Amino acid sequence: MKSATVATGRGTVWVLPALVLVVLVVGGGVFTAALQSLGLMPLVGEPALSFDAYTALGDDLWRSLALTLSLATVSTALAAMIGLATALSALSGSRAPLVAAGLTVTVPHLIGAAAMGLLLADSGLLPRILGSTDGSWPELVGGRWWIAVVVEYAWKESAFVAIVLAGTLATRVAAFDETAATLGAGRWARLRLVTLPLVRPALIASTAIAFAYTVGSYEVARILGRPYPEPLSIMAVRLFTSIDLAARPQAAAAAMVATTLTVVVAVVAVHFLRRSAIWR
Amino acid sequence: MTIRTRILPRASRGLLLAWFLVPLVPIVLWAASNRWSFPAALPQVWGVDGFRNVLAAGAVDAFVRSMGLALAVAAIATLLGACAAQALVRADVHFPAVVAGILFAPLALPPFAVALGLDVLVLRARIPSTVAVIMLLTVAAIPYTTYLMRAAFGAYDIGYEEEARTLGASTATILWKIRIPLLAPALSGAALLAFLVGWSDYVITLLIGGGRLITVPILVASLAAGTGNDAVVAALSLTAVLPPLVLVLLLSRLRRWRSR
Repeated sequence: MKSATVATGRGTVWVLPALVLVVLVVGGGVFTAALQSLGLMPLVGEPALSFDAYTALGDDLWRSLALTLSLATVSTALAAMIGLATALSALSGSRAPLVAAGLTVTVPHLIGAAAMGLLLADSGLLPRILGSTDGSWPELVGGRWWIAVVVEYAWKESAFVAIVLAGTLATRVAAFDETAATLGAGRWARLRLVTLPLVRPALIASTAIAFAYTVGSYEVARILGRPYPEPLSIMAVRLFTSIDLAARPQAAAAAMVATTLTVVVAVVAVHFLRRSAIWR
Repeated sequence: MTIRTRILPRASRGLLLAWFLVPLVPIVLWAASNRWSFPAALPQVWGVDGFRNVLAAGAVDAFVRSMGLALAVAAIATLLGACAAQALVRADVHFPAVVAGILFAPLALPPFAVALGLDVLVLRARIPSTVAVIMLLTVAAIPYTTYLMRAAFGAYDIGYEEEARTLGASTATILWKIRIPLLAPALSGAALLAFLVGWSDYVITLLIGGGRLITVPILVASLAAGTGNDAVVAALSLTAVLPPLVLVLLLSRLRRWRSR
């Protein structure tokens, strides 16, 4: 149908307000950060193209990138699995977990982080209930393995994934599923051949959004993480708010590395979405 | 008849329910405790001191500020998203794929990176920091509002409008009496998501607001940074979860009322 309509462009005026605002804010922000990171927009002195801001951070920059990537990958994978399980459970008649996920979605990440601290820290609710009062409680908050940070991201993002997938499943899958069942398809065959293919585009899109969100998140790792090594977001904000003005380009460099990471993930996600036949 | 596809074992329902609800338990307990020293499993003295201290910490002002911010973001992002989505669905836009790509781009970019770069421009252009925060959060919300409204316009039956037009209804009448009421569930869903973006934000308010715009999350973070504030942080957190929750409940009631 779409190809039959010739674009008159009359609608362009209606997209302009949103388009101009997004281009100004996102374009302006990323472009300025890129210029700053390359020494082309110094707060003091002459602009000169250089990669000093990137090299000055040295190995710390790559360590931060590796940490950011690991945190986002592990927590997004958990969120995808738990979110899918929640959506499937709603499809099979038990909607209570989905309703609980709806509650979790409304909780701001910062408050989620505070809650995880009260639950998982060595003086938190879990060690109290489990009677681990002799200091043997593992370092979940501020420890080597960033457990509390990963759990918080997985908690919030699994709720997001669950809501998105449940929306898709409710509208499209039920009818196909019934047809397949009528034709004699078993439970696992229906899951593998009907439900999962139908839910795939929504799963790709929601996990990609969750991944990008995790890379861009600041407050959770700030509250539940440890000082070193630091995720890219914390590195960038620390350098940005430093009183040393020379640190500004380095803050921009860390921000650009994080931006590159999320853009690569977005491109990969769009590539896989295009390959899903039922997309659109 | 719906066929129940039982794929997951029954126990998984309980596990999933616990996964989403257990993290909220300590907040509720801490908010209702006056004294809860380690290693007691339950508060020793119950009470509402936490809430009293929340009021003393300036929470009312922060709530008003956060509410204003979130409502502004919800109103602007829903309006812009609805206008853009309508044009995109009717396919009379030049380069629709590029336009949609740009409108969804904020999802794929770290907000702190955008805020950090924009800070210099905001200072040079002398844009008030509150206006800049609203602009940034609106941009962060536009992908969600555009997506929801695009789906809604896609399923929208233009027949009602055509019928009304044949009967002589004006454009304004059609907009207020037909289009907006029919799209009300989608509009309120989009507004809710945009509200959540504004209500939950921490890092953009921190970077662009420069510590002068004290919203609820900024207040939570500053209290959480201190020690021995667990009861206050919990009480404030609990209060901060309520407004979006009330909106979600109102929305689901609206949906149910509509589908009757």
